[in-house]
Amino acid sequence: MIDVLLTLASGPTPGPMAQATLFHYLIVSALMFGIGLIGFLTRRNLIIMFLCTELMFQAAGLSLIAFSRFHLNHTGETFVIFVLTIAAAEAALALALVVLLFRRQETLDAGVWSQLRG
Amino acid sequence: MTDLINQLPLVLGMAGDAAHASGGHAAGAHAGPVAGQLPSWVLAMPFLPLLACVLCGLCAVFKVRTKLPAVITVVSLAAAFVVALLAYQATMSGGAGAGQYAVVKAWDWINFQFGSQSTQSVVANFAFYIDALTCLWMLFVCGLGAVIALYASEYMSHDVGPGYTRFFVAFNLFVFSMACLVMGDNLLLLFLGWEGVGLCSYLLIGYFYTKPAAVAAGKKAFIVNRIGDVGLSMGIMATFVVFGTVEYTKLFELIAAGKTGAGQDLATHWSVWVIPALLTVGAFGKSAQLFFYVWLPDAMEGPTPVSALIHAATMVTAGVFLIARVYPLYTADPSLTVLTVVAWAGAITALWAATIEMAIFDIKRVMGYSTISQLGFMFAGLGLLTPVGAAFHTFTHAFFKATLFLGVGAVMHGFGGQLDLRRMSGVMWMKGFGLVGIAMLIGSINLSGVPFTAGYFSKDMILAAGFATPGTMIGGAQWVGWILLLTAGMTAYYTFRTYLRVYVGPKEFVPGDDPDLVDMGRHPKGTTLDEHHAHHGHGHGHGHGHDHGHSHGGVADRRLAHRQDFDPTTEEFDPHPPGLAMKAAIAIVMVLSVLAAGLYFYKGLPGGEHGGWVGGVVHASQVSGSQAVVDKAHGGTFFGQDPHKVMYYVSALIGFIGILIAAFLHGPKGWQGLFIGNRQKCDVAPRADRLANLFGPLTKLARNKYYVDEIYDALIVKQLWLTSHILHWFDKWLVDGLVNLFGLMPRGAGSIARKQQTGVLHEYALRMALGVALVLAIVIVVKVGGVR
Amino acid sequence: MPDLLEYAGLILPIGIILPLVFAALVAITPRGKNDLVRALALVGTMLPIAWYIPLASAFDWSNGSATHFAAKYQWFTPLGLTASFGADVITMLLLGLTVLLGPICVLASYSAITERVRTYYSWLLILQAAMTGVFVARDLMMFYVFFEFTLVPLYILINLFGSTNRKAAATKFFLYTFTGSIITLAGLIYIAWQHKIARGAWSFDFNQLRDLARGLSFEQQKWLFWAMLAGFAIKVPLFPVHTWLPLAHTEAPTAGSVILAGVLLKLGTYGIYRFVIDFLPAASTYFAPTLAVLSIIGILYAGLICWVQTDVKKLVAYSSVSHLGYCVLGLFALNSVGLTGSVLYMINHGLSTGALFLLIGFMYERYHTRSLKEVGGLAKVMPIWASFMVFFTMASVGLPGLNGFISEIMCLLGTFQASGLHWGMGDGRVLPGATWGELGPWYAFAAGLGVIVTAMYLLIMLGKIVWGPLKEPAGHDHGHGHGDHGHDDHGGHAKLSKDLNAREIGVLMPLAVLCLVLGLFPQPLLRALEGPTREMARNIDRFGRQQLPSDDPRLQTPSAPVTAQAAIAPGASITPPAPAATVGGEGR
Repeated sequence: MIDVLLTLASGPTPGPMAQATLFHYLIVSALMFGIGLIGFLTRRNLIIMFLCTELMFQAAGLSLIAFSRFHLNHTGETFVIFVLTIAAAEAALALALVVLLFRRQETLDAGVWSQLRG
Repeated sequence: MTDLINQLPLVLGMAGDAAHASGGHAAGAHAGPVAGQLPSWVLAMPFLPLLACVLCGLCAVFKVRTKLPAVITVVSLAAAFVVALLAYQATMSGGAGAGQYAVVKAWDWINFQFGSQSTQSVVANFAFYIDALTCLWMLFVCGLGAVIALYASEYMSHDVGPGYTRFFVAFNLFVFSMACLVMGDNLLLLFLGWEGVGLCSYLLIGYFYTKPAAVAAGKKAFIVNRIGDVGLSMGIMATFVVFGTVEYTKLFELIAAGKTGAGQDLATHWSVWVIPALLTVGAFGKSAQLFFYVWLPDAMEGPTPVSALIHAATMVTAGVFLIARVYPLYTADPSLTVLTVVAWAGAITALWAATIEMAIFDIKRVMGYSTISQLGFMFAGLGLLTPVGAAFHTFTHAFFKATLFLGVGAVMHGFGGQLDLRRMSGVMWMKGFGLVGIAMLIGSINLSGVPFTAGYFSKDMILAAGFATPGTMIGGAQWVGWILLLTAGMTAYYTFRTYLRVYVGPKEFVPGDDPDLVDMGRHPKGTTLDEHHAHHGHGHGHGHGHDHGHSHGGVADRRLAHRQDFDPTTEEFDPHPPGLAMKAAIAIVMVLSVLAAGLYFYKGLPGGEHGGWVGGVVHASQVSGSQAVVDKAHGGTFFGQDPHKVMYYVSALIGFIGILIAAFLHGPKGWQGLFIGNRQKCDVAPRADRLANLFGPLTKLARNKYYVDEIYDALIVKQLWLTSHILHWFDKWLVDGLVNLFGLMPRGAGSIARKQQTGVLHEYALRMALGVALVLAIVIVVKVGGVR
Repeated sequence: MPDLLEYAGLILPIGIILPLVFAALVAITPRGKNDLVRALALVGTMLPIAWYIPLASAFDWSNGSATHFAAKYQWFTPLGLTASFGADVITMLLLGLTVLLGPICVLASYSAITERVRTYYSWLLILQAAMTGVFVARDLMMFYVFFEFTLVPLYILINLFGSTNRKAAATKFFLYTFTGSIITLAGLIYIAWQHKIARGAWSFDFNQLRDLARGLSFEQQKWLFWAMLAGFAIKVPLFPVHTWLPLAHTEAPTAGSVILAGVLLKLGTYGIYRFVIDFLPAASTYFAPTLAVLSIIGILYAGLICWVQTDVKKLVAYSSVSHLGYCVLGLFALNSVGLTGSVLYMINHGLSTGALFLLIGFMYERYHTRSLKEVGGLAKVMPIWASFMVFFTMASVGLPGLNGFISEIMCLLGTFQASGLHWGMGDGRVLPGATWGELGPWYAFAAGLGVIVTAMYLLIMLGKIVWGPLKEPAGHDHGHGHGDHGHDDHGGHAKLSKDLNAREIGVLMPLAVLCLVLGLFPQPLLRALEGPTREMARNIDRFGRQQLPSDDPRLQTPSAPVTAQAAIAPGASITPPAPAATVGGEGR
């Protein structure tokens, strides 16, 4: 496993230093995901939380594109286009839901909603 | 034997359906000429009452508040009677003798082929089988129906409006059902009529539906009848399986040939006693024999015209009709097992009911039990191999019992529903009740078997058969005869007990408390009934000029005073005599029951030498298929004499003894009590009371009807009720409990798991993240560690 | 109408689509236009009648066992799923009942349902579409989908529009019947899988699977019998698995009860008729006495329980359990008379019990109670209602001349005659009224006792609720109709008259007329059912009774493996080829 990572880190072609390798993309992706996750877990505002999920989405998308480029095929890109489309629709839906929720309780605090308690 | 069954199928359908032939099945036995064509107008017999029923139903829809339904009913039933007469005329006119019949089909009811061969069919059409026996029954069903409808038109007049209409709807439906029962050409149509009359009986017994007793009585009648009906339906199914048909035409043919449908010898086949036994259960139910009798006394809760028509004259004789209809099947059994049972059952029922009648005080119930007892005579007659006697007694009984009931009804109507024979006396001498008294006397002498009355001749035939039929054919026939003879004496006693207490003697009465009826006799003090009625517009359509101030006796108004709205200081009660319609109806049935005696002497028909006109009619019907067996039922003696000769004297003597005892115990002083009575008040008959006390517990037992209802209640109804509750409990807690238990298991598991659902979004997210982290950690540890 | 046959492929699906379209229309009606919703729903249920009448006149009633108006569309080819439709005589009769009850249910709900009107009527219409689908389906999977889908609308109707305990009742109804159906599904798939093994391709076609199932080994049939029966017996419901029904009936809104009793219970008997007896004749013959005993227990047991009910709706619900016992008994007589009686019973029970539920619903709308302890003697104030009540009770009691009698007596007669043992069959002197069968007079007698029990509880019910002194719930005021039920978003909700109004009479009249007509003139139906049931009885004899092992529980000598193309001769037994070979040859 570690060899694989090392190989990846060194990039597909040993070229000039400035060239971004898959490793860099993945690092960025991981960072984005981490930020999204932490944001999702720590913030209570529904819209911010929603933005955080979007961030995690895009992180995943980024790594997919990176892998796609890495493997020199378009499978990952195809997926990302799909995801983006769906995400756009889902964003519209989710924001609408958020608006509706806000109307109900006049707050965006996610902690207010705990009706699904068992 | 087959030559007696000159089957002459005259198959004429409705509307060009003449081709539907049962004619093809009546093979072989054609001998006599065709009895004349019976065209489809005979269908008017069942369908006129049905039409009247529909018209009365329309009266209900259009909220008719006149006596129109009664008019419709009387007219249509009278027309049906005329049709019955014509049908009789057409059936008998051929003079061809036994076995003539015609089948007239209205429409296909059930015609279902269940096997590959065309003979494997269930065929039960709405078709009518018209022979002499049918005509006999239809004559008195339609005739009495018309007369009693006339009576009811006035009797029910306190209820003109929806109730009146409802009464006549059910009344007409009853006559239609009875016509199906009697005329149906197959056992299933008979069953339709059988249950149809049961329904009408239920509806009419429960006519006063706000009275819980009436509702309970109707229910009881229907349910008890249903028990018998299960037997009957099983019998019909067995008939179908064994003979492959339920149509009389084919059935009688097979029975006459002595074969089952598979060609086995009927006499040795199990079905020869099983089927009659099953049918007999149904007959016992409808005719209130043996254990089934309990519903009939309670049925007296219905309006009196209903009791007269349904629960005395017609419906209850359906059992007799059923057995008579398939009599050849009963006599096909060489051992005559079922007929022996029928004879004994009839005799025991007759005696049992008679003992109760001697003790009870309700005059309508007396008539009810008397009907049971007389039906016992008819069954005994059937069992003693004298179907003619049974049919004759049915016929005469229909008229004289209707007379008695209509008389009782007039009293009820006039005295505010009073039925206790201790609370009325000398009714005959009261203004307007003379005809009722005479009618009751004629009915009573018929019932008691006073010589030269119709009841005397018909009962005689049955009594004589008891001694004439050899014990080798019907086991213990002699004993049956003795029981019947004893019962005949008791009958005379209880009949005249009622008559002598209620209709003659000092004029006294206490009005009853029937809210509808009592209002007819109430009027303010100082007025007369007529003024009162004229003032209130209580239209009865009859004038009865009767002056106020006749004897009320010392006890009048005692019970009426209990009514809260009755003020004895300002109001009083006068008996309300029957009006024109009721009087006319009473007069007609009275005259008919007198004339019925003459039928005994009409020997014009073949076979009429035994039983007169009815004998001839029965002889001309399918019953003659049993003639060979019936003819053998002779040779027994009554103390060395021919019972048919001496029974006239014996039964007359027994009857007179019964009447004299009644006069001695209950008769008033003077000539009205034949100079041997000593009763002075309506509620005190010293000798009878002393005698009743002498028997003490026995009287009480009989007066309470031997507690049979209570025993049934405790042994059957209560047990079933308890079982039902146990089953309900079982269903709720065990059967359903098991289901709920299965439902509970996942629910229990879920209740543990769902604690984890906190409902807080962040917790879910955290857990998700931790889960992902955990998976990652595992992957790293396993994979990466593994590589190391 | 011969030219109708040109479009035969389309005509049956129309019956499903029509109510669905109107369900959608009802759903998109603007809020508050309740009268429009009701009108739409009425049209949506009347049009199927208009659809049914030409269908029935084009149907060849003299050849009822053949599939008419057949149509087949590909659905999912790899699994052999098709959307195929067809109608034989049983289908036609039950379809007739379904379309008849549609407008009746809509009209009957006019005053009872005043809230969430759109939801109510659209689900009612969807339910009708689903029921129509069940009967016209000729593909097993399609049948199953419709069969299960009937649960959803009724679940919602009970859950949203029922009485106090509606949630529990709806859940129980759904889960109970669903659990049973899953087992049935397993059985159906097993047959299809056997088809795949035997002929190399999946198929869910009725006829193909039937031919195959008849040839399965006796051991397989035995297991399949109980698997298939599981769902249908619960639906009927047969004795030990009946407890969901009283609860569901009691809590359901009137129209829900009417449809439940009228049509949905018949799905069970229809399933038994079509998939249990016809598919598995040998096992059906073998287990006929068991099923007959269960039916008879159901008849008597449920009948006695009826007696002690105080809730009149529950009483009628238990009476359904009792009545359906006759229906199943008739089926397992396995002869023509019994089968015909049973099919007629399905129709007749739908009419009379449906009407009883309507009447109870009308009473409930006026008095807001169903307790026999609180109301009584209503003949005094509601004579029209009382007349109908007596009429339909008598139809239910099985009074001759009304519809119930014909079916009841035929079920009993079928049971009575179905005994080779009793009637000396085999010794050459066959009694003319006898048929082969595993039951006989004692079964008929035991079931006949139920006739007494039926009369007992129904007359006791009448005695309490119709006759007797008038008893009305405390605080009930006629003058106000039912004021406490008011909901303000509707304009058309008028006060209810004391007795039945014209709309309610109009709802009951068709049922009453049919009860009378079917009682007095059953011959057309008998004639139509004669051929199909006779054919079925013959098949049971041929593929069932004669295949029954005398002492050896397995089938007789296995025949040669059948190839996929070979048409299976009826009655030939199919021995599944060795699984290994089949699977190997399949490769995926």
